[in-house]
Amino acid sequence: MTMRLPWKRSAPEPAAQISAFEQLAMPLFPSLYNVAVWLCCNPADAEDLVQETFLKALRGFSTFEPGSNFRAWIFRILRNTWLTSRSGLAAQRTIALEDELERGDELGPRQVPEGAIDRQTPELNLVRLGDQAAIRDAMEKLPSPLLEVILLCDIEEMKYREIAMVLDIPIGTVMSRIARGRRALREFLLAPEALSSEVRA
Amino acid sequence: MTDHLTPSLLNALADGELSADQLAVANEHLASCPACTSAALYQSMLKSATERAGHRFAPPPQLEERLARMVRQESAPSKAVALHASTQPVRLLGFAGWATAFVCLLLSGSAFLFERDSHRTTIAASEYAGLVTEVCDQHVATLAANLPPQVVSSDRHTVKPWFQGKIPFSFNLPENLPSDTKLEGANLTYVRNQPAALLLYSIGKHRVSVFVRQRTSAALSYGSSAEYAGFHVARFSNDDLDVIAVSDVDPTRLSNLVSLIEQSQTGTGWPTSHR
Repeated sequence: MTMRLPWKRSAPEPAAQISAFEQLAMPLFPSLYNVAVWLCCNPADAEDLVQETFLKALRGFSTFEPGSNFRAWIFRILRNTWLTSRSGLAAQRTIALEDELERGDELGPRQVPEGAIDRQTPELNLVRLGDQAAIRDAMEKLPSPLLEVILLCDIEEMKYREIAMVLDIPIGTVMSRIARGRRALREFLLAPEALSSEVRA
Repeated sequence: MTDHLTPSLLNALADGELSADQLAVANEHLASCPACTSAALYQSMLKSATERAGHRFAPPPQLEERLARMVRQESAPSKAVALHASTQPVRLLGFAGWATAFVCLLLSGSAFLFERDSHRTTIAASEYAGLVTEVCDQHVATLAANLPPQVVSSDRHTVKPWFQGKIPFSFNLPENLPSDTKLEGANLTYVRNQPAALLLYSIGKHRVSVFVRQRTSAALSYGSSAEYAGFHVARFSNDDLDVIAVSDVDPTRLSNLVSLIEQSQTGTGWPTSHR
């Protein structure tokens, strides 16, 4: 009797599929983990989230259309998985309503006096000094819908179209959330504690 | 253009999302509007600062290993079947009371048994694959080292006693070998962390490594032959011993040698004290 050993048991097609999945997914692993920790606020939960994301993506890889945007596809799985996780559900309970988030979207950037380019505002100093702790603190204060777009746009450098695919929202909503997210960051950086950290620095 | 740029436009500018036409209009406005220029500068700096601050968490190395292992496990068909079965949606019918409970109990019991058997099969196959890999590696290492055996003799009455006190079991060697088959000697070795006798035979110009080790309660009940990296593997087990042979010789001749070794064990009983 001749047995077939495990490394020979996989049919060529599934094996090739697994290999293709690894080639696409593993380079994105650090980015997925980074975003996962930001969302979960907890490395242990983030590990579980990334692992579950990989498992779901692997099992659903046959539905992925070759040549389409794998990064947006797997980030969407990560995000949807997070939404149903403990931290995701908790975040959804505490986020502001969309109407609230929409407030003041079209207000102009009129804080700077007309005719003068003020490069010495506190937030500019913070940014210029590269005070990463202050910026991280500000990011941690963002409600999750705003944090998501900032992470995908600024850290993952996704285009608006990709972000819309990941979050399953219109591009217009992506744009307004980015605007609100950055405004919120600016407000947090202007808050007394951020300013005091600047003074300490 | 006299209207100031909206926050969305300023953000799109910083994110490189403006079309060529929009960019031309925005640049024209920025050339004459210090306020919007300042705001655009701030958005750009905030974006780059956020990018630097956001790359914050590096994944632990063991997580990557765990994911890679998980992907490999998922590729095993039996596991895939088990997982597929375990993820089948369980539809709870509207039957109340004991009937539902009974059905659930029956289903969960069946699933448990199925998964357990599947799991055991996968483990046994993996263990056997590991064993084959190890003995083939040892065979290759022995050939590559090209060193004389620890006991050099074609006499079975010299080779067998050499293992006294070295291994916690004993075995027989066949007396009559085919004309082109010769016992070259033996080494003491370890297989799967157990002491084992490595018998070195030659069949023609082909070298054969025969690993003899004590059968354990967790002995593998897998097939009698396999192939790995071009080598043929043949094996047998009895109540006391687990014997596995590796060579690049013709599988039939390898099987003949293994059969002779197996036949030589018959009737001896081979308790540890019996020499």
